[in-house]
Amino acid sequence: MQREAKKLKVGIFDFTDCEGCQVKLVSLRERLLALLERVEIVNWRLGQEKNRMDRFDLVLIEGCPITQDEIDLLKLLRERSTHLIGFGTCATMGGIPAIMDQKERAKWYNKIYGPQYKPRGIDSLPLTSYVKVDFLIHGCPVDENEIVRVMEELLSGKKPAYRGYSVCFQCKLAGNPCRLINGKPCLGPVTQGGCGAICVSGGSPCYGCFGIRDTAQIEGLLDILKGMADKEEIERYFTMFLRYTKEYNEIVRPFMERENG
Amino acid sequence: MAKRISESLITKIEGHGSLHVDWEGRKAKLHVVEGERLFEGILVGRTAEEVHWITPRICGVCPIAHNLASVKAVEDALGIIPNPTTVLLRRLMMTGQMIQSHVLHLFFLALPDYIGLDRATELAEKDPKAFGRALRLKEVSDEIAFCIAGRNVHPTTTTIGGFHKIPDKSSLQRLLRMLEKTSPDASWTARLFTSLPYPELDADLELLSLKGDGYSIYDGDTISSSRNDDTSVKGYKEAIEEEVREYSTAKFGSYRKREIMVGALARIAINGKGLGQKARKFAKSLDLNNPFHNNLAQAIEILHFHEEAIMLIEKLIEEGMDGTVVRPSINPPLKGIGAVEAPRGGLYHEVHLREDGKVTYANIITPTVQNLTSIEKSSQTLLDSNPAASKEELKRLMEMLVRAYDPCLTCSVH
Repeated sequence: MQREAKKLKVGIFDFTDCEGCQVKLVSLRERLLALLERVEIVNWRLGQEKNRMDRFDLVLIEGCPITQDEIDLLKLLRERSTHLIGFGTCATMGGIPAIMDQKERAKWYNKIYGPQYKPRGIDSLPLTSYVKVDFLIHGCPVDENEIVRVMEELLSGKKPAYRGYSVCFQCKLAGNPCRLINGKPCLGPVTQGGCGAICVSGGSPCYGCFGIRDTAQIEGLLDILKGMADKEEIERYFTMFLRYTKEYNEIVRPFMERENG
Repeated sequence: MAKRISESLITKIEGHGSLHVDWEGRKAKLHVVEGERLFEGILVGRTAEEVHWITPRICGVCPIAHNLASVKAVEDALGIIPNPTTVLLRRLMMTGQMIQSHVLHLFFLALPDYIGLDRATELAEKDPKAFGRALRLKEVSDEIAFCIAGRNVHPTTTTIGGFHKIPDKSSLQRLLRMLEKTSPDASWTARLFTSLPYPELDADLELLSLKGDGYSIYDGDTISSSRNDDTSVKGYKEAIEEEVREYSTAKFGSYRKREIMVGALARIAINGKGLGQKARKFAKSLDLNNPFHNNLAQAIEILHFHEEAIMLIEKLIEEGMDGTVVRPSINPPLKGIGAVEAPRGGLYHEVHLREDGKVTYANIITPTVQNLTSIEKSSQTLLDSNPAASKEELKRLMEMLVRAYDPCLTCSVH
């Protein structure tokens, strides 16, 4: 009984998104069961019928807080949780919904739903636009091994660390030919590793869904990209997932404006 | 005033919604409260090659279906006919997609209703052998997706005209061995779901599915109804209408202004003759007017697609593979439609391109949008046909009914 009482109380919540990161959680299979033995899931709408809104030791949030209800719930969860973790790129950076800003969204509500429709969405921003977030598990979708690594560190009382290397490191290990050397745009060099370079291994570019890594040489990459892609294309790469990062606003956007001028 | 059936959201479904019942007037409404992501706007201005990268993010439960619907729409717009290897590999991806999604729904979301559990992981303690079978099916379907699509969620290998990368023969042989080992688990699933006590409900369903050769989920070109009222896929937009309702962020769909049900039950009703030998035997026990039987139909499909995956891999190994990516034709129409049967039913993507390959228009109709009207109607039938049942009992049955449709509210508000 004593041991039971010490289990961490965990809540898993999802805002607006594709729920693919929760699918990844289920894909852990046996490892998920092992994880569940060490914690008490007190709230998981997708996984169970009985849910409580107590205090949480740990809250995982998937998805982008688009509606007012979601924004309110996010603030409440922040108050009630010791550790609040962003789970997947929609939560950590806004994800695919963040491709459009508030102004563009307003236009498309009208086109998609008609003029009579009263939108529920406010904007598509990451969790950090509203509350302090303790750690970001990036990824569109998150990677199974990264979930396990971060959870293990949290469960043993450590502060999880971000990966200190870029996607390129794992891309080399995977034996992939370099996209940039072959004249194809890629954001691997400035993106945090941990994904196993899975997109490049499949033949797709890296769009940076694991977030910008520490000490990334963004100007250097922009200079290389300039030689193989036009401004619009570079912009499309950086706005797939990274629009609301500090680096996009402080480095990429001014670079584009200079190029314009 | 309508009293809420529950302040809380319906659990164990994909996405956010709640059933609202006016108990005095005895009317049921399904409120979808998922935020709007506006994918049809997100796609405009993006390139043709980015479409199938972006649309899987509509739904993490059926990303392969969205990926291929987009690829097909763009190929239609560019006058591309992919080679036979590509088609076989895509069909194989779809078998993995179906098993992945159905296993998730049946074991993790629906089964607890029928055996009196709160959550699927309780099954791991109560019947570890059964839970092990569910996990093995999840694993083998994830492996199909990893091997062909590059990842279990959100494909990385697909491209317009073919694949960036195709698997080698030895990975296919490895998959084949895994599938052979899990065959008993697929048969067991069909038997288990045949034995469950489904609530009785005569919902007088009109069932709708894409139809082609055999049990066609990748290349059906006709939208076929159980009421013998068919439409060519080209006419999807006129036949399937979407209506905006003030209480929902998802639109409500109808087929020629009638409520229809799409998904596994509908596919077996329309394409049942094409089911594999093992699966066909189980189809006889289906009641095509009872939406709860959609769960049984999904279990039968797990068995069917498991058989089909083996058949497709054997064919690929035997015939050899051609990884050529087909280029766009000269003077392509630049407007295209891509339709597939996603796990939850017919999925339609339409894309218009400019000469430079940028998207000017996108339209997406998801299966759950088509099902929402039917979910409300069946909930109403459930209310009307059980006048003596308590509110508690009705609430339980109605949530179970919504779950049986396997709604993906995430998809419905895209």
